[in-house]
Amino acid sequence: MLKLHNMYKVYRTDEVETVALNGVNLEIAQGDFVAIMGPSGCGKSTLLNIIGMLDNPSDGDYFFFDENVAPYNESGRSHIRKQNIGFIFQSFNLIDELNVAENIELALLYHNMPASERKRRVADVMDRMGIAHRAGHMPGQLSGGQQQRVAVARAVVGDQPLILADEPTGNLDSVHGQEVMELLRSLNKEGTTIVMVTHSPSHADYAHRTVNLFDGHIVTENTRAA
Amino acid sequence: MFWNNVKIALRNLRKNKVFALVNILGLALGLTIYVFGGLLVKYESTHDMFFENAPNTYTIGSIAAPDLDVGVDRFNATFTAVGPIIEAELQDVRKVARTVAAGYLLSVGDKSFYEGVNFSDTALLEIFDFTYIYGDATALQDPSGLVLTESSAIKYFGRTDVVNETITFDNEFDFHVTGVIEDVPLNSHFSSSVIADSGLGFIAPITGLNRMRDWDLAGNWRNLSIGNMTYVLLPESLDEQWLTTQIDAIYERAVPDEQKKVLAGLTVSPLQRANLAVWDMIGMPVIAVVSLLSFLVLLVACVNYTNLATAQSLGRSREVGMRKTMGASQMQLLAQFLIESLVIASLAMIVAIAALELVIPLFNNVANKSLTLDYLKTLPWLVLTTVLVGLIAGMYPAWLITRASPIDALRDLARKGKKGARMRAVMIGAQFAISAFMLAIVSIVFMQNEKVKESSYVFPRSEIYTMDRLFVEGIRDRLDTLKYELEAIPNVSTVSFSSQVPYEQNNSQRSVSLKPGDEAGQVNLHTMDMSPDFLKTYDIPLLAGRGLDRNISQDIEKEDSTTINVLINELAVTNLQFGTPNDAINQRFYRLDDDGNSTEYIVVGVVPTQNIVGLFNEVKPWMFAYDTSALRIGSIRIEGGNIMDTVEEIEAAWKRVVPEYPLQGRFLDEVFDDVYNILKYMNMALAGFAFIALALASVGLFGLAAFMAAQRTKEIGMRKVLGASTSQIARLLVWQFSMPVLWALAIALPAAYFASTTYLNFFAERIESPVLVLIVAGALAVTLAWSTVAGHAIRIARSNPIMALRYE
Repeated sequence: MLKLHNMYKVYRTDEVETVALNGVNLEIAQGDFVAIMGPSGCGKSTLLNIIGMLDNPSDGDYFFFDENVAPYNESGRSHIRKQNIGFIFQSFNLIDELNVAENIELALLYHNMPASERKRRVADVMDRMGIAHRAGHMPGQLSGGQQQRVAVARAVVGDQPLILADEPTGNLDSVHGQEVMELLRSLNKEGTTIVMVTHSPSHADYAHRTVNLFDGHIVTENTRAA
Repeated sequence: MFWNNVKIALRNLRKNKVFALVNILGLALGLTIYVFGGLLVKYESTHDMFFENAPNTYTIGSIAAPDLDVGVDRFNATFTAVGPIIEAELQDVRKVARTVAAGYLLSVGDKSFYEGVNFSDTALLEIFDFTYIYGDATALQDPSGLVLTESSAIKYFGRTDVVNETITFDNEFDFHVTGVIEDVPLNSHFSSSVIADSGLGFIAPITGLNRMRDWDLAGNWRNLSIGNMTYVLLPESLDEQWLTTQIDAIYERAVPDEQKKVLAGLTVSPLQRANLAVWDMIGMPVIAVVSLLSFLVLLVACVNYTNLATAQSLGRSREVGMRKTMGASQMQLLAQFLIESLVIASLAMIVAIAALELVIPLFNNVANKSLTLDYLKTLPWLVLTTVLVGLIAGMYPAWLITRASPIDALRDLARKGKKGARMRAVMIGAQFAISAFMLAIVSIVFMQNEKVKESSYVFPRSEIYTMDRLFVEGIRDRLDTLKYELEAIPNVSTVSFSSQVPYEQNNSQRSVSLKPGDEAGQVNLHTMDMSPDFLKTYDIPLLAGRGLDRNISQDIEKEDSTTINVLINELAVTNLQFGTPNDAINQRFYRLDDDGNSTEYIVVGVVPTQNIVGLFNEVKPWMFAYDTSALRIGSIRIEGGNIMDTVEEIEAAWKRVVPEYPLQGRFLDEVFDDVYNILKYMNMALAGFAFIALALASVGLFGLAAFMAAQRTKEIGMRKVLGASTSQIARLLVWQFSMPVLWALAIALPAAYFASTTYLNFFAERIESPVLVLIVAGALAVTLAWSTVAGHAIRIARSNPIMALRYE
């Protein structure tokens, strides 16, 4: 599905140069569930952002379905992103002014889809996630776990084949964290590829494969039997 | 998507109620002023358009030569001799009509009122298609005919079917009504709201003036009064350019050389501009200034909105990041933010329209205008304004917030960094520059007007009650009795009569020379006739010699006098090169009349140089004579006692002496106010603009201070932990805003200096130096800015440091 080849990301300010990714090579197949782990500052989120095409690499190639997207500008990346990638963030990133249904619908808003189709899909996904009874609630009225469910619903409503989750359980207690992980596992079972950054070894265990990063390098990769 | 965006916009407004209120009200205020200014400008510059011939009608005006020395450059009026020349020489013009404005006592039975009457050529009714209730456009062909407006007819007769009824002029001349027309709408030059006592009530044939005053129907080259209009109606095929060329040629060919000394040229202006003639006359581009100021206020409001919206939108960085992550393009997000801005602009416009619906009737009432907000006609303009304001004001924040990469936006780097800080500083600076500019101009205009007022106190203007129209024969014969009766009133100290009183903008001049007939050595002297007590009435001291004396026959100017004793002022002493006031006594000078007869003037007294015409005029060389036939207005000096009781006694005395004419009296203060009010109202309007601009700028600054203080909360917390005091923190925040404000002043004050000299140049006597006023105005603006920010800064600085640190 995607392949990173000799990927570098360097942050430069006037005086300091920080190498966040230092020649990373990584391949992820369709249907994979990959956990990325490592200490703070090792480049996990940077890697995820580049995979998610939210950021562009300083050097290296990024093949997404055999297409090298590394040189693309923001509008090119945006086009591929909206068709293929759903995101789940640690801080949920729900829009406070929109209710649950509208937040989920946001993911379809830029897809040139008729309103009736959008409504149908939103209703479907809310049923699946068990949040249909919260459709009219505003994010502020929900618990952290419920908010993350909405975020997951938003990530999957567009039927994107790849979901990137940046510490999806980081702001949740263990019970809600567990719930979210179960959700991701079931999505993966339905065929969605998932790449997740996490600090929690127990949550990493949900993945087929764990990639350990250190100072911008991939140091180990462990594969688990599915 | 569109409605989705509108929905989000409305929810955002609900969520940030204070911000929303400030944004909407600020923009609404700017829009109210702008739309009102636009309506006013449109109203003032499209007068008389309801007359069918308006597009082809022109008025002839005059350019004053320096010799005229009247303080204005041009009039939209000319000598009455010009009209007949145009009619005789230009066969292609359709119609020419003159009007001569004159005041008369009009009586029907026991009802008598002083009225302004327009004496006109018959063609006036053919040029202007008044709406006739009775009669028609031939109404002026009868030499004793009279056209009344509906209100005049009702005033005198209580009804409008008054054809053939008689109105007597000055208790002597009968005119009978030949036509009644509907009142001319307020948006006509016939009903100027600037010139006091104007308005069209009575139109009489110009031949009537000939009957009453032996007025020469061919007109004259003596009297140039702003009430004397000359209208020219052209056929469709000819235009202003053609008429201008012809009129220029007429000036060269037909204006006597002697007149060219005072009349530098003739002008042509479309009827539409006739209403603005007063402003053209005094050389103040009032309409342009109103347009500019209302636009500047809107600009300040827009910048204000942009500033607040920028600050506010940075708080929505994560939302933008999220939307970008979902695949929104920058264009789509720009559209979203611009729609929000349009929603706010639309709400602001609705508030503005509501405000205008309240303000316009009040304004019409006060200013006697008929301004309307015609939705059908103005809708395209209102919509366009709303859209432009929404787009322009919203463009910068929309661009700033949507240009970040998705990851930067998600990390909320925009709010934490200094993004747009420079632009914000520029906007704050621009806002303050405009406000300080206006404030400075207003201060200068105010100080100058105060100076004009102060200078006018040289005469005891609140203690003098004037009586006008004493030249009417039935009154003139009884002036001595009147004086006797009036001086018998306890609080009246003196009564005198003159051809004019201070502050009246009359301008009678004589060219004199030290040798009879010496044209090269001619000196122009302004002339006033006055009875001997005038000096006492007005507290004018004598510097040398004596005052005029009714017992010395040579002191009294008569028709056949060849030697006349006169007083002159010090400036006349200088201009005539007599040396000191004492040296001037018994000096002689001469004047030749049109027939070549010489009159000898002997100086018997010298008075100081005082600004008799006052206001914007410079001091002039004056000569004072005592010609009883020229006395037109009386001055009663009231000292002590209850003024209103004294006025009642004056009225009673008048009734005893001149029962057949009503007293036309008013305080000298009111004479001064005739012109001064124009300056005063102008300054009030300017002050209004400046106040609004400054208020908007302060609101913007306050909002921005709140935002920027919030942005620096963590830094403030850290500084406090490290031991910074409240005052140090407050200074830090205040200083942040001081730079743009100081820059603004550096630009605004010099600009205001140059702009204000245009106003000051209009006055002969100016305030010493506008620089001090500018500095004070600048200091005021800075103080306002500081106090706006300081309140906020101190509150933040006093808060518990942990609150600040937790913020992040």
